[in-house]
Amino acid sequence: MVELENTSFNYNQDSGIFDINLNIDDGEFCFLVGPTGSGKSSLLKLIYFDLIPDDGVVKVLGFSSKKTKKKNIHKLRKKIGVIFQDYKLLKQRTVYENIALPLHINGLGRRKINTFVDEALELTDLVEYKNKFPTQLSGGEQQRVCIARAIVKNPDIILADEPTGNLDPAAAHKILKILEQINKEGSTVIMATHNYKLITEKDYRVIELSEGALVSK
Amino acid sequence: MIDQLAFLISEGFKNFFRNKIVSFLCILTIFINFSFLGSLFVVGYNTNSIVDFFRSKYSFEVFFVDNVKESSYQKVIDDLNSKKIISSLSLIDKNESAKIFKEEFGEDVVEMLGYNPLPISLKVYLDENDFDFNNVDILIESLQSIDIVDEVEYRGKYIDSVEDRINLAIFFYIIFVITIIFLSFQIISNTVRLSLSSRKDFIQILKYNGASTIFIKIPFFIETLINSIIGSTAAFFLVKYLFILINSYFDLSIQIDSYLWIWIIGFSSIIGLYSSNSSMKRNLYE
Repeated sequence: MVELENTSFNYNQDSGIFDINLNIDDGEFCFLVGPTGSGKSSLLKLIYFDLIPDDGVVKVLGFSSKKTKKKNIHKLRKKIGVIFQDYKLLKQRTVYENIALPLHINGLGRRKINTFVDEALELTDLVEYKNKFPTQLSGGEQQRVCIARAIVKNPDIILADEPTGNLDPAAAHKILKILEQINKEGSTVIMATHNYKLITEKDYRVIELSEGALVSK
Repeated sequence: MIDQLAFLISEGFKNFFRNKIVSFLCILTIFINFSFLGSLFVVGYNTNSIVDFFRSKYSFEVFFVDNVKESSYQKVIDDLNSKKIISSLSLIDKNESAKIFKEEFGEDVVEMLGYNPLPISLKVYLDENDFDFNNVDILIESLQSIDIVDEVEYRGKYIDSVEDRINLAIFFYIIFVITIIFLSFQIISNTVRLSLSSRKDFIQILKYNGASTIFIKIPFFIETLINSIIGSTAAFFLVKYLFILINSYFDLSIQIDSYLWIWIIGFSSIIGLYSSNSSMKRNLYE
């Protein structure tokens, strides 16, 4: 499903991702760990083709970084849900509108959009916030909106970039629980975090990065 | 597909209302630009009328009194034919006058009144090579003193006074139009660039959620189209009523093409879409 072969991406001489070989299978739940600046976000960006490797190749859901044209990257991204640490929500739109956005992009009809958004709202426990704006929500609630937006299109892969980074332990556990639920329903989940306490409580695969290189996988 | 299109159209309208100041600037530019372009189009469409207007400096009309005898006006014709400053002349009898009246006003004056009140007249063409206003004045004065001449109609001096100014105005007008087109293109491009910049986050979120380039572009195209349609429609009305006013003030018959509105709105939309597309090509992936 996700395959990195001798993948390198350099921001400059000292920072980036260096010669990474990695395989992540269908339906896996794995943590991507490492200190700040270790390359976790860059690795995730390589997986959703926001970065294209300088060397090596990234293969995701049948799309190859070497063969996929820029204009076709959106086809891959339709199958991936991305959760950001800074949420990246549209402040002028309601929770409902934020979550419905990927479904509009996928060209779904109004009825289906209503059904899928309601399901995502229920799963993330946001039904009562449906018509609120992101600025009216707490950090944990905003992160759940971000998760709802990522899962609403039923993606094959969920990439979560430090989703618990700004949250208190209770909210962080709630987020993890939702991601586990999504994983049980069939989506592969790759979660970047430096919350070691959260990792040790779970028995999932841990991929560790340090200074852009793979330490353990 | 219809739902997706409806979403994109509503996004375009939302963008338009969110960027009120930028949209206003864009509409104003299109309005100015297409007021000039529309005027130029009307001028081009009426080239023959304008040439006729200037050429009428070299002609005048002599209207005879009612019931004038053929022998009397024939004498005047012979006299005029002998003059060097006259190149040619043509007699317009009562029937011919009625025909001209019908062509110009769409009414049959004989049918309407039961008789033909129009006078016999002479259209006199002056020799352009030997043209001299003093000689023409003397000639007209002498014609006006003849008993059977009711009126001499000549607008030569008036035309001459505006001719040079109009030629100079046309030159500056063309330069101005070219400048305005260029500025308009730049302003529409920059409007779109500002919109792209102010919605950088939105575009990024769309991209991360799998939006294709065309999906991102369509709302911007719609926003530009709204600006173009509003600006050019206002320009069309200005041009139309300006020429109606000019027609009545200067007693001209400048024709306004009935498809002018399609031409103006269509052309402004094309310029708008082209400039916004080129702006997006440059800025969307910055």
